[in-house]
Amino acid sequence: MATLEQQRFSGMIEPHLSSMYSTALRMTHNPQDAEDLVQETLFKAYRALEQFKEGTNFRAWVFRILVNTFITAYRKAIKQPQKVSYDDMEEFFLYKRLDNTTSLQEMSKEDFLDNFFEDDIKNALESLPYHFRLVVLLSDVEGFSYNEIANIIDAPLGTVMSRLHRGRKLLQRQLWNYAKTRGYVTDDVQ
Amino acid sequence: MTSNRKKRYDCGDIENLYQQYLDNELNEEQKKLFEEHLEYCLPCDKKISFEMKLKEYIHSQALKIKDSETPKFKVENIISGSS
Repeated sequence: MATLEQQRFSGMIEPHLSSMYSTALRMTHNPQDAEDLVQETLFKAYRALEQFKEGTNFRAWVFRILVNTFITAYRKAIKQPQKVSYDDMEEFFLYKRLDNTTSLQEMSKEDFLDNFFEDDIKNALESLPYHFRLVVLLSDVEGFSYNEIANIIDAPLGTVMSRLHRGRKLLQRQLWNYAKTRGYVTDDVQ
Repeated sequence: MTSNRKKRYDCGDIENLYQQYLDNELNEEQKKLFEEHLEYCLPCDKKISFEMKLKEYIHSQALKIKDSETPKFKVENIISGSS
């Protein structure tokens, strides 16, 4: 029989389970590992519950535990050097590519986005190197503010902003690569 | 970076600040100057509209995947070992 405290925690955490699992899955790339990561987070969060200050952001508090648990478990993998090229990473990367694509002249750039499938977005997100993937997920998918993300990943605000900025550029480059390989654009483009 | 005392933003300011604009992280004064620029600069307006749509698209596509794949967590069973 669950204690009152356990029932209370359960009620607090239920609304966030889907977000936590989804983020865990995007980070681990594996359903079983994601499930384990969420379970460990639940266990730790419950044990640390008295450290949570009532009236503050419970969701951000739980995500901080999720991220720390992930980092501890995957420390080795995360420390691998991540080779990322920024050679062609100008602002508005995807917009500018689409602007120069003659085979898309009849279609608006906004409509072009509807060509992407859920899997394209999912794969593009999962292709990002860890540090960038995490901030893009927390911002664009989970809707956390810069301050909340800084707190969750324990990094300065400027680091959050630069990782988010670079992560989005990498994501746009990946989407552009999909568009080319899937034949959404047929020009001989770079 | 950009001074808040500036009367108007130019295209360079838009390029420097658009991520924060998309994320609703500009203060009221910056947001006002940013949107004023978009009103009279069509190229910037089109770029920002596209970035905004892309952000929304990524959000909605990523959320679609979410609920269908979440396993059933028995929270009280998982945490009971710690009581």
